[in-house]
Amino acid sequence: MDVRAILIVGEAIPEPVAGSRTETIGGVPIAYLDVLGMPVLRRVLARLRRCGVTGTTLITDASLDAEPFLKRAISGIALSRVNAPSEQLWQAAETTFQNYAEGGAELVITLRIGPYTDVDYEELIQHHLDHRCAVTMAVDSSGTSLDLFVLSACSRKDAITLFRSHLRQLRRECQPFPVTSYTNRLRNAADLRYLAMDGLLRKNSVLPVGNEIKPGVWVGEHAHIHRRARLVAPAYVGAHAKIRAAAVITRGAVIEQRAEVDCGTVVENSTVLAFTYVGAGLDVMHSVVGLRHLSHLLRKVEVEISDGKLVGISALRAVSRIAGSTAGFFALIPKRIRRRLSASPELQSGAKGHESGEQEKAPAETTTLGASGSTPEASELPLAVARRYGNQ
Amino acid sequence: MEISSRPVVVKRMPERMSLRQARNFLKEVQPFLTSDRPQVVFDMSQVRHIDAAGVDVLLQCMRDAMKHDGDLKLAALSPQAAIVLELTRTGRLFEIYESSTAAVKSFSSFLPNAIRSSYSPLEIVSVAAPDPLAIPIQDEEPEGAGLAA
Repeated sequence: MDVRAILIVGEAIPEPVAGSRTETIGGVPIAYLDVLGMPVLRRVLARLRRCGVTGTTLITDASLDAEPFLKRAISGIALSRVNAPSEQLWQAAETTFQNYAEGGAELVITLRIGPYTDVDYEELIQHHLDHRCAVTMAVDSSGTSLDLFVLSACSRKDAITLFRSHLRQLRRECQPFPVTSYTNRLRNAADLRYLAMDGLLRKNSVLPVGNEIKPGVWVGEHAHIHRRARLVAPAYVGAHAKIRAAAVITRGAVIEQRAEVDCGTVVENSTVLAFTYVGAGLDVMHSVVGLRHLSHLLRKVEVEISDGKLVGISALRAVSRIAGSTAGFFALIPKRIRRRLSASPELQSGAKGHESGEQEKAPAETTTLGASGSTPEASELPLAVARRYGNQ
Repeated sequence: MEISSRPVVVKRMPERMSLRQARNFLKEVQPFLTSDRPQVVFDMSQVRHIDAAGVDVLLQCMRDAMKHDGDLKLAALSPQAAIVLELTRTGRLFEIYESSTAAVKSFSSFLPNAIRSSYSPLEIVSVAAPDPLAIPIQDEEPEGAGLAA
């Protein structure tokens, strides 16, 4: 049987909060973001391929400025891609369907990502064939559409009605397919976090990409974990991620690939998105961090953090990353020489021991607080402050 | 029991506290902080963006106030400010109150009451529903509890 698939990434569900767009984090669709080492979109494509889909077309919203993330998500996968403006997204889907129908396809699976589901596509197709429907809609346990449909290629009118209503209306009643397996709407950062956490706890088929180095702790290839860093299960560290000294990764924390957690930072019940730098000495708790944004899951607030010393983003392209690290290395050498020169006269004059120890600690504190324009006096401030009240 | 009759200065922080704004803010509040035993409250309800420079200035202000045997308290934290203070671990260094009025009143409170009311200040802003993702842990007994009792 010739089964093809149309995947749509773009139009989000209308959001009750004005001015915000669902299904994105920092302007990037959640479908393009890594979950336990692999983008959601890639996982869906892999599932489709496993169930025997012979051709796939990905229709993306051109208004989304996330091209590098999309390229990463679909690299090495054979599919056709249509980048359409928002208003022509569904028209493009309709055209693709017609092309598939004319090309000899019998069934077309249409899904919007959107929601993630562990549905068995073979069961869904069998259900569609058994009930001899023109369109079969997959629904969750509450009967709500999961934006996943199977269309018979011969019933073009039904397909047109479906696409023109943005997957919200069927031309004829059909027997819906109840999805009993794991589903996640992936509307916001909290849903992304749930998906990752459920994957770590084996509640869904989102398996971590990497090796389980000890029970519940997964580490991707070429991840750099400092020997003084602590990983407490369940936890995931993606490929090429860097965990610096004294960092603590705990309570289901997920560090995606090529992310970096600097010295002394605690990541607890949080996800650090791929290509994200988290500064030194921070407490990242109950959050999804990345793309210069921090979404706090308890406060339900998304904050933009433009200070690269707190939360930064590293280049997606390897060339840019190499250039950046080379420049950083050469910028470090003069600093080191200057520090050595300034430290040596004091050592010679006999100011050893306790004083010199303080001298060495001071730069570390400056890095922790990380103000680009901080005065020298500010860096002297110890982190533990003994409070005094009144004139005591 | 009132033990203080010195004036309390309440200063509203600007919407943006990045490097330039933080410097200007520091210049504005410096005279208050360097006076004799200053009592200062920063109202952070308007703060929508604060970065490391802003946090640095807050610490510097607290240091200046404490140098002169005074105190600096924060009030009405916006969610953005609360998140950044929590992220940078600086929230625990300040007494944080729900409103400027509460912060001003705290200066005239008797000392043990002030400690009791100001303990674990970030809790006042975490009013959201409990997160099912969060694994429950048993809180350690606060260090100041014995002192307050």
